[in-house]
Amino acid sequence: MTIVRRRTPPVLQILRTVLIADDEPSMRLLVHATIESDDYAVVEAADGAEAWAMVQKHKPSLVLLDVQMPERTGIEVLRSIKADPNLNATKVILLTSKAQESDVEAGLIAGADFYLTKPFSPLDLLTRVEEALQL
Amino acid sequence: MVQRQREGEIRPDRRGWSLRSYMALFMVVLLAVAAVAAFSVRFMTELDARQAAVADTNFAAEKAAALLKSGFDQINDLSIPLSKDPSIGQLFADPTKCKLGYAPLGAFKTGRMDLVRLDGSVVCSSSKAAAPGGASPYNSQSWLSATAPIVVAPVLDPVTGGQVVVISYPIAGKGALVWFLDLVPIGPFLASEFGSGTHSLEFLITGENNQAVIARSIDSAQWVGKKLSAAPSASTSSNAGSPDLNDTNRIYGASIRNAAGWHLYVGADEAEALAVADLSANRFLVIILIGVGAMSLVVWVAYRRVAEPVRRLSLVMRGSTAEQPASVAVGAGAREVTDLAEDFDKLMATITHEEADRLATEEKVADSERNYRSLFESNPQPMWLYDIHTLAFLRVNDAAIARYGYSRDEFLAMTVKDIRRPENVPKFLQLTAHPPAFAKTGPWTHLMKDGSTLEVLVTSHAVSFGEKEARFVMAEDLTESQRLELELHQSQARAEASAALNRAKDEMVSLVSHEMRTPLASIVGFTELLTTREVTPEQRKEYLSVMLQEGHRLTALINDFLDLRRIEGGHMTMSFAPADIGALIKRVVEVFGKSGRSVVTARLADHLPLVRADSDSIFRVVANLLSNARKYSPNGGAIVVSAASVDGMVEISVQDQGLGIPADALSHLFQKFYRIDTADRRAIRGTGLGLAISKNIVEAHGGTIGARSAGPGLGSLFYFTLPVGREQSRAGDVLVVEDDSGFAHLLQAELATREISSVWAADAETAEQLLAKNGARAVVLDLLLPGLSGEAFLQRLRETYGPSIPVVVITLKDLELSENLALQQLGVTGVLRKGPGISGAAADLIENALAAQLVAR
Repeated sequence: MTIVRRRTPPVLQILRTVLIADDEPSMRLLVHATIESDDYAVVEAADGAEAWAMVQKHKPSLVLLDVQMPERTGIEVLRSIKADPNLNATKVILLTSKAQESDVEAGLIAGADFYLTKPFSPLDLLTRVEEALQL
Repeated sequence: MVQRQREGEIRPDRRGWSLRSYMALFMVVLLAVAAVAAFSVRFMTELDARQAAVADTNFAAEKAAALLKSGFDQINDLSIPLSKDPSIGQLFADPTKCKLGYAPLGAFKTGRMDLVRLDGSVVCSSSKAAAPGGASPYNSQSWLSATAPIVVAPVLDPVTGGQVVVISYPIAGKGALVWFLDLVPIGPFLASEFGSGTHSLEFLITGENNQAVIARSIDSAQWVGKKLSAAPSASTSSNAGSPDLNDTNRIYGASIRNAAGWHLYVGADEAEALAVADLSANRFLVIILIGVGAMSLVVWVAYRRVAEPVRRLSLVMRGSTAEQPASVAVGAGAREVTDLAEDFDKLMATITHEEADRLATEEKVADSERNYRSLFESNPQPMWLYDIHTLAFLRVNDAAIARYGYSRDEFLAMTVKDIRRPENVPKFLQLTAHPPAFAKTGPWTHLMKDGSTLEVLVTSHAVSFGEKEARFVMAEDLTESQRLELELHQSQARAEASAALNRAKDEMVSLVSHEMRTPLASIVGFTELLTTREVTPEQRKEYLSVMLQEGHRLTALINDFLDLRRIEGGHMTMSFAPADIGALIKRVVEVFGKSGRSVVTARLADHLPLVRADSDSIFRVVANLLSNARKYSPNGGAIVVSAASVDGMVEISVQDQGLGIPADALSHLFQKFYRIDTADRRAIRGTGLGLAISKNIVEAHGGTIGARSAGPGLGSLFYFTLPVGREQSRAGDVLVVEDDSGFAHLLQAELATREISSVWAADAETAEQLLAKNGARAVVLDLLLPGLSGEAFLQRLRETYGPSIPVVVITLKDLELSENLALQQLGVTGVLRKGPGISGAAADLIENALAAQLVAR
């Protein structure tokens, strides 16, 4: 949950937050452009350590997590999220560029709610995000 | 006074108890210890169980209090800034702008949040139940008149009718931001957080002064809101239980009072805790009983097998003498007792037969030496002994003499080196320098006396021969089957190597497909967005520029990867020729050194020798190192490209003052796709293949490549070496100055068929150096050259060497009339335009010119 100001005149809204964590700027732009919505706020992180800091700060309802990131991998961040009782309402969708089954399994065992393999369809991603947020 | 006794005699007063008495005493002590252990275990386990239950309740209480506090803290963090926000008035004015949502907060799983006016009516709510408009549901509620944030519980929710805690944050002059958090789910939630556990725990939260139940994990719906007559009593020093609300005895730990004045009690079921203690005490009792039973059995058996036989043995030995040996032959008894009896029998037997045995043993030793000697002498396999220091033969057997053709005397005058081919001797000496105790080696080629050779496998052992360290050798002819087996081994090794190569290739393909997915994901994703959505012109432009950039990245990756495969697979042909590395470096700096923040300078040693290189490939290596130096110097700084002679090689280096390289990364830099992942490098893009390609190119030249850095932030230095060109000393009839290696080779081949030797230079600077060193009888010159142009080179040639050297000019473009005239004035023999068959024509022209030179002489 976070408080965001947008448009003029200022209007107060209590909105849910979605975090995008990916080390590739082009991927963050793509995911951000895809899921942009008035129903929730979107924040970004460029590596695993920043992603974990943002998760603790914003307590997002949903995290879109790239698996291969510097500092901490997406799987490590996912494990930290699932181990923290204050984050039991946070859902996670993994974005992976590895198509190997074992990585996907490792992710789902670590508690991801869903995963998408790059390259993915933005419309598909949007559907998954709306499902996860029960919009 | 007691008299001193002689050794060996036993004093009657020291005879001690019988074995039977010791056994009985042992049994009594054992039973006493077992009884004490059983009673104390029962007492201790109950004490432990009570302490464990208290520890469990204390731990659960701490955790539950933390969950409650987390919920309160999150509500505070959210509500205080919001209730004090000056612009909140606008929400009261226009309720349609107000959107509220509820998510679980710590222990508060369900509930809602309302914005309420002073009159008790709702502005907006996160729940549909408290719909705005309509009546004023909270009219005259006590918390509405509070001036500071207030927590009230338990309260009957006027909207839903359930038991809730109300947390109200007053908004001065307007109303309040009010949370209604359901109390009934809190108890079961806290219980579920700690599982069912060993003792079923009761979580109980009461209000200030323990007046009413706020939450309870047992029968939550029934108890929440109930008034209480007394609070549960905390555990006493003996950790005894006390009755809870349902009259179940429970062991309570310390209660916790939170900021809202709530008391949190956690109690463990006493009966359940004690049942566990009982169970473990009973198990222990069974173990003690089994132990006592087993010990009694052991004592009984020991008595039977020791005491009885010893008594009989002693009876028999008393009646035995040396002249009349008695056999004891004790039957069943402990092993020590049986051994004692048998030893007694053996002693008697040994004394009788000792002499006869000694004679028999000497006979056997002599026999076995005769056997061994005949085994060596008449063995059908060639065998010998040699001194491992002098390598001289010490003994040879008949089979060796027959097989190798030397007489015994000849053998003993030779060393083992003499039966080996001279070229195999170093390998043999290396192997025998540190010989193992046993070795089977081969196949070896041995020389026979008649000069023919023998393929053998050799088995050898270290032995001592008198005082000398010697080696025993058996030589075995290599049979056809052994030869086949050896070949099979070699082909298996080849198959394994090729399997490893295939695995490496598979890993590479998976790595590359991974590297390609990211740019591909951007391109595919943005394309789909553009085709399925309305976007603004600015967005369209932004998306398209990202797609273009990622497309370029993908192209560069594919190109680099294909190049690398070509070089690694040996499919890229290098055209080595003498090259002026100084001129090449100047050209790279000219092309790539101008733009950007860094100042690039070339620092070249005087009189650099020509190197042997494929100019295009080395140009690429220098350009790659220079481009890296600039990329990893985001704040600029001087970049120096230098070249100098070092130990018969030329070392080229690129030094920058950029980000530097951590020490642990230096050894990985030249691996494919290796990137140093630190925050300051993240924005710097690359395919991760440039250095791998450079390494392959340099190594194909017979050089080495490497990097040095004092550490992060201290800049880095990349260097590589190239061998000095051997062709320098060779003079050719014709100097071919041509940057296109394919055409140069064609021309050289045409000249060779006319028996004219030639030397190739890929640029004018190299050509000048070759001319100065070796001269030339004629020159073929391409006008379009990298660096110094063909025309300038021709000008300088005429100034230095005069008009006598014939020059044939090759051009790619049609020449202007003025250009043709200028060439004629410089005395060229012919001007040819590049095209099919032109190499033959050029060779013909050269042949004629050389013939004319001979006539002129």
